[in-house]
Amino acid sequence: MSEMATAQAPSPESGGRRQDFDLLKVISRFGVIITLLASILIFSILNDRFIEIAGIRTSLNLASPLLMLALGLTVVLAMGDFDLSVTGIQSAAGAIVVILIVNHDWSWLLAVFVGLLFCLLAGSVNGLLVSYAGMPSFITTLATGLILIGTRYEAADGRNITGAKDLPAIYRDFGVGRPDPWLELHTPVWIAAGLAILMWLLMSKTEAGRYMYAIGGNPEAARLSGINVKALRALGFTAVGFMALFAAVTSTARTASSVADSGFSTLLGAYAAAFLGAAASKRTLFNVPGTVLGVIFLQAVDRGLILEGYSTGVRDIAKGCILLLAMAFTRIGASRR
Amino acid sequence: MTATAPEVSTPLLEVSGVTKRYPGVLAVDDVTLSLETGQIVGLVGKNGAGKSTLIKIIAGAEHADEGDLRLNGEPLELHRPHDATEAGLAFVHQDLQDVGDLSVAENVMLGLGYPRKMGLFVDWTELHRQAAEPITRLEADIDPREPVGELSVAKQRLVMIARGLAQQAQLLVLDEPSASLTDEEIEHLFAVVRRLRDDGITVVYVSHRLEEIFELTERVIVMRNGQLVADEPTESLDRSSLIAHITGHEHAQTAVERRASRGVGGRPDAEVVLEVDGVSADTGVHGCSFDVRKGEILGVGGLMGSGRTEMVRAVFGADHRREGSVRVHGIEVSDKHPSESMAAGLALLPEDRKTQGNIMDFSVRHNITLASLDRHRARLRVPAPSGRSEKQATDRRIDRLSIATPHDRQLVRLLSGGNQQKVVIAKWLEQGADVLIFDEPTIGVDVDGKEEIYDIMEELAAEGKAVVFISSEFSELVGVCHRVLVLHEGRIVGELEGDAVTEPAIVEICYSQH
Repeated sequence: MSEMATAQAPSPESGGRRQDFDLLKVISRFGVIITLLASILIFSILNDRFIEIAGIRTSLNLASPLLMLALGLTVVLAMGDFDLSVTGIQSAAGAIVVILIVNHDWSWLLAVFVGLLFCLLAGSVNGLLVSYAGMPSFITTLATGLILIGTRYEAADGRNITGAKDLPAIYRDFGVGRPDPWLELHTPVWIAAGLAILMWLLMSKTEAGRYMYAIGGNPEAARLSGINVKALRALGFTAVGFMALFAAVTSTARTASSVADSGFSTLLGAYAAAFLGAAASKRTLFNVPGTVLGVIFLQAVDRGLILEGYSTGVRDIAKGCILLLAMAFTRIGASRR
Repeated sequence: MTATAPEVSTPLLEVSGVTKRYPGVLAVDDVTLSLETGQIVGLVGKNGAGKSTLIKIIAGAEHADEGDLRLNGEPLELHRPHDATEAGLAFVHQDLQDVGDLSVAENVMLGLGYPRKMGLFVDWTELHRQAAEPITRLEADIDPREPVGELSVAKQRLVMIARGLAQQAQLLVLDEPSASLTDEEIEHLFAVVRRLRDDGITVVYVSHRLEEIFELTERVIVMRNGQLVADEPTESLDRSSLIAHITGHEHAQTAVERRASRGVGGRPDAEVVLEVDGVSADTGVHGCSFDVRKGEILGVGGLMGSGRTEMVRAVFGADHRREGSVRVHGIEVSDKHPSESMAAGLALLPEDRKTQGNIMDFSVRHNITLASLDRHRARLRVPAPSGRSEKQATDRRIDRLSIATPHDRQLVRLLSGGNQQKVVIAKWLEQGADVLIFDEPTIGVDVDGKEEIYDIMEELAAEGKAVVFISSEFSELVGVCHRVLVLHEGRIVGELEGDAVTEPAIVEICYSQH
């Protein structure tokens, strides 16, 4: 049977030279990881402070909110959608929580609860517009994100809302916190790690996760297999909102303020991490361990360049180049497959 | 195997000793053949026999590991597809490769450079005039200004042929050109091909439909397992000898023989499983009513565009129903979501396995369990699939349906068309529906694969399932169906049962509607 030919083990005359070691294939498969290891090696040689454990702990702490945002994005990206409103939700939720505590003397728990409701609502609105009203996710979330950023700006006349004195210590602990006795990591790192494990379980171990990847692969085939495509896509946007709350709380707690910032560079960082993670995976799919790797990668490069005394601009250029490089590796691999 | 070249002229194209290896597969194995000017040559073989790879090598899309090509006696070096075009070789692939938003004229002249005014602006009048020439030659009623995406599939194929003519092609390769064409359109296509042959163009006609090979071609080349196994004048072959060449073993059963040997008969006393009553939909379905009984295979015939797919999609709830009701085991099923139909026991195996049936980048295992994932929970309450349970189920299906895949983790994209179709079937067998609707399950599937699909449908019916089978090849319906409905413009216009199910009878109903 000729169809069997594709399934058979290589016959003696057909094997051989095609299955030789192919350097380009290895580079394309492990390009992201190779670049990460190379960067770490170079930065460690350039400056021995790069591998100082205390500094690494601080770096991880700083990267935690980014990871939380990127985790949410991983879910929508896996289903083929974009969410550009994530930093808008984060910024607006952070302002809500800080204002309620600082200006209205709410208990922090209640304020965070209201923030949570807001995030879930904002995410659900995105989900309804995209999944049920059928609007394109890229432009829809760009619009809702702009609205949220603008509202945040107007609510405090474009100023930061600081609350160093008024935010209770227990709330501020979400930003840094006492390090745990074993690994001496700060609270946000543990929260981010917990969320990453949760999301990893969801995406790679549950029925819902399988369905999400099916939707990303082919929404019509998924629907005809009985999968509720609309509900799951909408749920993805709600998950982004959920993650934005954690990013909002940990970042406002760390700086003891809600910063008036478009969140643009954070947004791009989160996307960069998710795409690096996909490029690092075998079948270039968005995935949680990959996203974690992507965040660590970006943070490592940032830290290395800071230690070398480079300015923000140079760091952005370097990160841009690394992204291009990682994508180029993946493309080379794809075209040779 | 050396083809005998006539003494009078050098052949148009000579392929000698061409070999192509992919990892683990010898796709083309030392193929030597030569094509004369002005011939219609059929190229046949099962899926994976090496036809496509051979064509890709001639088209410059793949590079042969060994062997060489000569055109009009001169060595032909192909480094990229454009080289083949320049050399006068034109290809019309099964998947249409035209640009839907562009006009017919723009597509015909694509890659040839558009005529210019003042060296800068496209001279549209001249472009339309130049494009009209090859279209007129094909006697096609096509406006050069129309966007290609709005044409019928048949006309889109003609546009692709016109592009080849505009490129002054000497050799035209048509890959499954009759797929999704109506009988009238196929007749026109044949007329076009014959006229091109009379003009001295060599046409290579690739098809799984053997009737077309016999009607149209003068010579048949058969490939099997990458090798050229037969190269003979068409008149020296008959259906069974050709099938023997293709499959490598003697077994050729016509639809009528199959029908006689299986004793296809209805079961008028069996319980009605599916009742469709007055279903209409905005997709062009008008008041369709029919029943299917337990253990029955109900055929649905009709010409392209007669609304067969649209009807079953409305029945399954893939599209919204404007009116009418669907009952399974007497219980009404809503059209809200396919999942509701599935829960009631309905399954639809869609027409296009690539865009609707499978998740192409999922593994065989994940595709097969996709519609029944909740049955593979390790603990009953936790919605987390157990890999071991999934693997057991998948391996069983791979074995039962003899799906040719190295392992259950192989991506479906990497399987042949017939095996991709079997994965779709396995998914729905695994889901365990009582009524299975097969929409064109044998399109692009080779002879053996088709037989296997018929066997599966018959086994299902014997197990007491109800099967609905849509096909454009009426002989298939005759071969396996107890009863056949004929559709025309979204309406059921005829029903044949028992001995009345014959090919001429179905054709008669289709054409008496005009």
